[in-house]
Amino acid sequence: MIRKIRILSTLLLVLLLPSALFALTGEDIVRKADEMQTFDTAVSSGELRIKDRFGLKVSTFNAWSRGADESLIEFTSIAERGQKILRTEEELYLFYPDAEELIRMQGSALRQGMLGSDISYEDMTGGKDRLSKYSIELQGDEAVQGRDCYVVFMTANTRTVPYQKQKIWIDKKSFLVLKGEYYTKSGRLLKEMETLETREYAGREVAIRTRISDKMKKDSETLMIIDELEIDVPIDEDKFSLEELSW
Amino acid sequence: MNFKLIKTALRNISRNMRRSVLSAVAIGVASMSIVIMFSFITGMKDDMSNNLKTFYTGEVRIRNARFEEFERYNPMHLTVDWNAAKKVLQENEAVRSFVPRTTFPSSLYIEGTNFGAIGVGADFAMEREFQDFDSILKAGRVPAAGKNEMLMGVVLARDLDLGIGDRVTVLATTAARGSNAVTLEIVGLAAFPVGSLNSKYFWLPHDVVQYFLRMDGGVQEVLVTLKEGVNASDAAASIESALYTETSMEHDVRVWTDISTTYGFLKVAQMIYNIMAGLFFILGSSVIINTTMMVIFERMREIGTLSAMGMKGREITRMFFLEGLFISAVGSAIGVCIGILITVYLGRIGIDFTDAMSGMDFEISSILYPRLNIGTTVFVYVYSLTIASIATLIPSRKASKIEPVEALRYI
Repeated sequence: MIRKIRILSTLLLVLLLPSALFALTGEDIVRKADEMQTFDTAVSSGELRIKDRFGLKVSTFNAWSRGADESLIEFTSIAERGQKILRTEEELYLFYPDAEELIRMQGSALRQGMLGSDISYEDMTGGKDRLSKYSIELQGDEAVQGRDCYVVFMTANTRTVPYQKQKIWIDKKSFLVLKGEYYTKSGRLLKEMETLETREYAGREVAIRTRISDKMKKDSETLMIIDELEIDVPIDEDKFSLEELSW
Repeated sequence: MNFKLIKTALRNISRNMRRSVLSAVAIGVASMSIVIMFSFITGMKDDMSNNLKTFYTGEVRIRNARFEEFERYNPMHLTVDWNAAKKVLQENEAVRSFVPRTTFPSSLYIEGTNFGAIGVGADFAMEREFQDFDSILKAGRVPAAGKNEMLMGVVLARDLDLGIGDRVTVLATTAARGSNAVTLEIVGLAAFPVGSLNSKYFWLPHDVVQYFLRMDGGVQEVLVTLKEGVNASDAAASIESALYTETSMEHDVRVWTDISTTYGFLKVAQMIYNIMAGLFFILGSSVIINTTMMVIFERMREIGTLSAMGMKGREITRMFFLEGLFISAVGSAIGVCIGILITVYLGRIGIDFTDAMSGMDFEISSILYPRLNIGTTVFVYVYSLTIASIATLIPSRKASKIEPVEALRYI
């Protein structure tokens, strides 16, 4: 009898061990999500459909990115034609064709919405290095748009992040963030994000329609649409330099 | 009126000169204070009305009908069609002149730091009808049309350590509800009469603002001045109606007195000043009542003798009333004259409130010039004379009711 029990125990251990060994932690999930959304290089074009109390406004753009920290957006719509936003590892700069100097965004200016949208300049700088800035807690599973997701809650351990608390829903298969809620330290909802449509590029699922809603503004939401995306294409070394920005 | 009674009253005044002078001084101080106070508030009202009409509202202001509802959101896209407004105003016979203005909040980007300031897009050629830029220019010149140039308030320039020839990048929200930046050269420094215009504002050409803020032929507001004798409300109504016919759009066309809340406050202030003037008179009158009552007690023997000799109570009242009237007439006249002299002097040199008003966002100049209003001054004289004279009736009536026997008991 004792022998039987030992054999059964050993069998159970052998069966359960892999799942225990390979169960993902919250940190693993966020790291994986960051990796899946970061490309060596990417070139895209798209539009921002900004809806506010005054109506709908559409701005079009071309964008280039390299890794997690460098990106350049150039607006092509008439009202903003030629305006550029450069994000480097450390800073965020704005270029305006009629201004003689580049404008370095800092402090409270970072909280302004980009072109009046629900996406703040701060949002563009806040996505990197989440693991070192947040304590991550895996809260469980939940279905979003019929897809099984991890529910991850992140609490900031520094004051230098745009949102002190975040709750994100990460698709278990693609590790794409399908939904996000962003809060103040006291738990007030500041912003909501939802991925509406995705497409597969180079074996990875990428959000091509994303809705962002700033809850501090009445009747406001921004739809970011990626029309074209090319991944791992060569980009000039100087593309993300200040000199290039002024051209 | 009995001439003898007047003579007696005058003699009684001169019999105790110190007492009479005290009463006259009390009335005089009250009258003088009120003349100065009224002149000060008249000067303040004139100054505010001039500043409001020149820099902020015109006599009539035209805006997009929805602008005020959303003003706190900086709705740069809610504009007035400039060409349509120009056509309507040129055809309106009540209109003397008009100017387009676009006022926008902005950031001045200087050496990596943003400083808040308010920009005003103005047509400097048309502005000559509205304000005399040359007289407020402290240095340089007004910006030229089509050039990326600005005129800055002297205090703002001093605070930012900027001067003529410096170039400043201005960031602002556009009518397309995006953002834009432009670099402007400071070509002039102006000392505006209103403190906030000096410390927060810069002015740039109308056409530069049109391009910079993507106004697409629109302006934020049009300020209008009217011909002499025109009823402003009627003119505003006719402009509004003509604009609707021209553009098929509702506009907010308002007379300047209906716009400014500060001007409303000033109206309330004037009411408070009137109450204060009344209180001053009550104080002055109480001195008169007091001294007259003292006189009555001092002159009991005289009253008794007069009554015993057959003087009627009504005549005694009249005599004391006349004493009060003469003292009030002299006191008020001297007080009003001193008040006029002080007002004329202050009206020339002005009262400098620069330090007291620094940081206050009122449309009042930092140097105020009290202005004498003849009607008000005459009113103050008559008012003080009446109040002070009536005040003597109370003790006079008391004196008239004293029986000769009772009065003679004081001997």
